[in-house]
Amino acid sequence: MARAASSTIRRNTATSSPRNVLPLGADRYASRGDTLLFLACVLLSAAAMSLPDRVRDPVARTLRQTVLAPLLALQQQSELLSASLTRYQGMVAERDSTALAATFLPELRNENTRLRALLGLGQRLGSGYVAAEVLHQSLPTDPLTLIVGAGRKQGVRPLAAVVSPEGLVGLVSAVDERTSVVVTWAHPEFRASAMAADGSVYGIVAAHGSDGPRGWLLELRGVPYRQLVPEGTLILTSGLGGVFGRGIPLGTVVTVVEKAEGWEQTYLLRPAVHPAAVSHVMILIGNRASLAEAFDTAAVKR
Amino acid sequence: MRRSDQYRFVVILAVLVILQFSLRTKLGDDRMAPDFLLVALLIYTIRAQPGKSAAAGFLVGLLRDALTPASFGAGALAHTLVGYLSAWSKAVFFAENLFVNGCLFFAGTWIRNLIVALAALVAGKLKADMVGWELLVWSPIQSLTTAVVGVLVLWLFGRHLAIRLGDA
Repeated sequence: MARAASSTIRRNTATSSPRNVLPLGADRYASRGDTLLFLACVLLSAAAMSLPDRVRDPVARTLRQTVLAPLLALQQQSELLSASLTRYQGMVAERDSTALAATFLPELRNENTRLRALLGLGQRLGSGYVAAEVLHQSLPTDPLTLIVGAGRKQGVRPLAAVVSPEGLVGLVSAVDERTSVVVTWAHPEFRASAMAADGSVYGIVAAHGSDGPRGWLLELRGVPYRQLVPEGTLILTSGLGGVFGRGIPLGTVVTVVEKAEGWEQTYLLRPAVHPAAVSHVMILIGNRASLAEAFDTAAVKR
Repeated sequence: MRRSDQYRFVVILAVLVILQFSLRTKLGDDRMAPDFLLVALLIYTIRAQPGKSAAAGFLVGLLRDALTPASFGAGALAHTLVGYLSAWSKAVFFAENLFVNGCLFFAGTWIRNLIVALAALVAGKLKADMVGWELLVWSPIQSLTTAVVGVLVLWLFGRHLAIRLGDA
């Protein structure tokens, strides 16, 4: 070990200038001056430790206000910079959140409009309905049947009509305690007795199908061949059969189906309501014969 | 050592001091973050004589005590001892090797913390169980991070510090 130390000293000596040369031999380890300096520092440290508070604090304060002042200022600036960066990141996050919320603004406006319309419908209906929220599922078949948040407890019964401010959504097929299953007009088994708004034409409305370019349309079947139904004619429920009350909008005539079936014509309807777009509905629980005055048919035609 | 190397030596030590007051607070828990000031002191002691190293340690410790007046003097004593022992042991025992220097940084930091903790314990400012935690958990971690920084500095700038490495 002594040999290693000796070689170290030799190497240091070889690479240093005379002023900084570490002394060879015992002087390098600790000369008398080094020892005295060391002892003085130890004594001063011990003295500092034994200083009373009234002396110690002014000394520390003086050091902080003189030698350490620029370093403390540097640390303060560093902290400020760090805090600024944190605040900047927070602001960027808030801005992003606001921008994201703004993208949903049109959707919120639409929903607000729908809810206002629903309230208007509720006022016009007066009583005999249950408001319910549609519990959409993330399935491709979701628009065929809906789950709504009202059930037996709220007075919902099977075959009750389910409407929105724009028109008929479907009918209740099954009722649970607090939820119900609604078969929408898009379901292949849906049927409704229908008529033109002026009562000149009667027929049966059913889903046209959800495939192809004419998907999500309704059909008005059973119209006599000689009766022409102009494009844009509003089709309402007729009230026949006793399931749906009279006057609930179903849709407007778009065109006639090219393939004629015997003495009957089939017309395509643009539905008044698209089930996938409905967020709140009303389930009619009263036996009301006519509902025509409750719906804004002019709005449906538009 | 050439004059340009002397300037570089001073600049590197100054950068370490600046890092202590700018970067260190962003390196996590104060008990674990590397002590750049102690790295600067130990790098100084690698080249300096024990007496000057003790004096430098005393000054560094006194300045640190000014920032923590509750243990005023303890830091000065600890840094004085570490500075002196580092310079002395470097001459007597250590070869100029990166790993050995890393061990020096580790031991220097741990001994400094030991002395400060014991002084605080004697003064009744630190409880005994806290001393155990300090010396067995936090202090080794801080010693390790400090040693890593010290080794990095020597590895990157050892040539400019007139410290030869790797031929122990």
